Amino acid sequence: MKVRDLVLISLLSASLTAGKMALSFIPNVEIVTLLFMVYTITLGLKRTMVVAVIFATTEIFLYGFNTWVLAYYFVWPALIVGTHLASKAFSSEYSFAILAAVFGASFGFLFAVFESFFYGIAYGIAYWVRGIPFDIVHGGSNYVIAIILYKPLVRLFNQQIQAYNLKEID
Amino acid sequence: MNKKLLSIMVVVILVVGLGALYSQFLAPEAQEGEKEVTLEIVIEKEGIEETFVYQTDGEYLMELLEEHSEELELETEETSFGDMLVGFFGYRADDGANEFFKIVVDGEDAMVGAAELPLEDGSVYTIELDTF
Repeated sequence: MKVRDLVLISLLSASLTAGKMALSFIPNVEIVTLLFMVYTITLGLKRTMVVAVIFATTEIFLYGFNTWVLAYYFVWPALIVGTHLASKAFSSEYSFAILAAVFGASFGFLFAVFESFFYGIAYGIAYWVRGIPFDIVHGGSNYVIAIILYKPLVRLFNQQIQAYNLKEID
Repeated sequence: MNKKLLSIMVVVILVVGLGALYSQFLAPEAQEGEKEVTLEIVIEKEGIEETFVYQTDGEYLMELLEEHSEELELETEETSFGDMLVGFFGYRADDGANEFFKIVVDGEDAMVGAAELPLEDGSVYTIELDTF
C-alpha cells in the first residue's frame, strides 16, 4: 500500500465520521451508506474495507465499547461486498439506490441478529420490532439520498481519481 | 414528470404507508408492569441488604433505577463512558479505597453498564459494593 493510499484512506474515514456526525441530529438519516457505496464503486473493495475498519474503530473511540459498535465491523463490510457484487451486474443509479434502501431497511434486523448472540433471541426480536419505524425511515431516506447524490458523487470521485492518478492497484 | 422525482414520491408514499401499517399491527403497546424483576442492593460493610420486586416497562436497568431513584437514594456520576452508579442509600463508593458498584445478573457478573443492560422478565439484578 502506497503512502498516498494511506492518506486517502485516512481522509475517507474522516469524511465518513464527519458525515455521520453532521446528520446525527436526524434519527436514521445518514450519508454513510451512500459514501461507502461510492467509495466501493470508485476506489475499489480493498481500500473501502480498510476505511470501514477504521470507521468502526473510530466509533469505539467516540462512543465507548458497546455491542452495537462491534456490529459495525460486520454490517459495513457486508454493504461493501454487496455493492461490489452489485456493480458487476448493474450500473444504473436506481439499482444502487434500491440497494441503499434495502440495506437501510434491514439495518435494525442485522443489528438484532448481532444483539441476539449477546442477549438471546427474544431480546433480538423485541429490539428489531421496536426499531421497525426507524428502519422504514432509514430505508426511505437512503433511497432519496442515493437517487439524488449517487451519480454526481461517482462522477466527482472518478474525476478526482483521474486527476490524482488514484486508480486502485490490487 | 421527472423519473427520479416520481420514484422519490413513490418511496415517500411507501414509507408513510408502511409506517401506518406498523402502528396499526406491530407497534408494541406499553402495558403497565410488563416485566417483573428483582433488584438487590448489597453494601455489606454498611449492613445494607435490600431486596425489591418491581414491575416495569423499562428496557434497561438504568431506566428502572432512575424510576426508583428516590427510594433507592441513587447517586450517579457522569463519565465519558456514560452514567456510572456511585451511591445507594446515602452510601457513596469510595474512589480512594477502589470501591465500585458491581452489577450481577442472575448470579453472573454483567459485562456492560446499567445503561446497556437489558431488563428481562424474572431476572434478579444485584448491585453490590465491591473493590478492584
